[in-house]
Amino acid sequence: MGPLAVNEIISENTNLFFAFLIGIGFGYVLEASGFSSSRKLAGVFYGYDMVVLKVFFTAAITAMTGLLLFSLFGWIDLSLVYINPLYVTSAIVGGIIMGGGFILGGYCPGTSFCGASIGKIDAMVFIAGLFIGVALFAAGFNWFEGLYMAAFRGDPKISTALKMSDGFFALLLILAALAMFWVAEIVEKKFPREEY
Amino acid sequence: MNPRVLLALIIIPLGLVIAAVPQNKTVPYKLTAPELLSEVAERTQFVSPEVIADMLIKKDPTLRLIDVRSQQEFEKYSLPGAINIPLTDLLSEEYADILNQDVKMNVFYSNGSLAANEAWMITRQLGYTNNYVLEGGLNYWYETILNPQKPSSVSSDEEFLRYDLRKGAGMALGGDAEVKDTQDQAAGPSLKPAIKPVAKKKKAAGGC
Repeated sequence: MGPLAVNEIISENTNLFFAFLIGIGFGYVLEASGFSSSRKLAGVFYGYDMVVLKVFFTAAITAMTGLLLFSLFGWIDLSLVYINPLYVTSAIVGGIIMGGGFILGGYCPGTSFCGASIGKIDAMVFIAGLFIGVALFAAGFNWFEGLYMAAFRGDPKISTALKMSDGFFALLLILAALAMFWVAEIVEKKFPREEY
Repeated sequence: MNPRVLLALIIIPLGLVIAAVPQNKTVPYKLTAPELLSEVAERTQFVSPEVIADMLIKKDPTLRLIDVRSQQEFEKYSLPGAINIPLTDLLSEEYADILNQDVKMNVFYSNGSLAANEAWMITRQLGYTNNYVLEGGLNYWYETILNPQKPSSVSSDEEFLRYDLRKGAGMALGGDAEVKDTQDQAAGPSLKPAIKPVAKKKKAAGGC
């Protein structure tokens, strides 16, 4: 059956409409869980608030479990689901830049829009920086292209690389995530901060 | 209850189910049985030997002949420029890009038309387009192109025209028909099917 748009069960425009609804839901949940506060987001680096880690890992394992179960029931064809292609160099460099920006600015791209929409000035400055970065990258693409396209590895899966089934890897990841949540709560108790 | 414990109680059993059950590797068919039946009934997948011969002589770059017989048979005899995809290897990953594309006109052939038609039905059910079947297979190819029979003297002009066309094609493609100039009749009827575009996989980017 799924993916709905690829199998032409819904049109491209209906797909965008769903994306719009999901986007609103995503923004609502981000704001409701306090993701529009840069202090909360930066907390994950200083150990006083691990909610970012918990929310994103919960999202990841929920989506993963859902997709695998849907595939099991024949509701979605996983071979048609897009996997980000892996460019090793740009993944590492991009990760460092993104992480640095995260600590420095206290936002990631999605949450900065969340913060800006409730009037946080630091979030607006962050967005301005984001656009400057996008423009610089686009203008200097000829320069960056070699780095950007280096070490292409296709669209690999960790489960394939470790020679285990997707389902077994999913179970390991679920257990690892739950263990991480447990450790995160210990860390939060160790580095408490009253007001932020 | 601690939310972490609640999450664990829900998601660990689900994880166990996923880990224990074998992966679903069935490839969904894109065409329903009635849709396929109507295509089979219309016989749109068949391309006549004359059209193929004409394309071969004109060196039409869109034509790709696919021999679905075994490798031994392929090595013994094959049509000019054909590639070999034995029917048993049809679903192999390495041929997916050849069979599911919108640049070339793939024509399956076998000795008769049975194996080629089977290959067409399987690829068609997977939703692939631009795959066709050589009508009558190599046997009919030999009868019509390489060794055409002269029609009886009471036959229509149309029959004679087709005979001349076949003989000309046979000569050009290494048959044993007699040499006769048929250049002016080489403009055969344009029955070549149009190549249909393939719906490309959509891409979506994510981020936090």
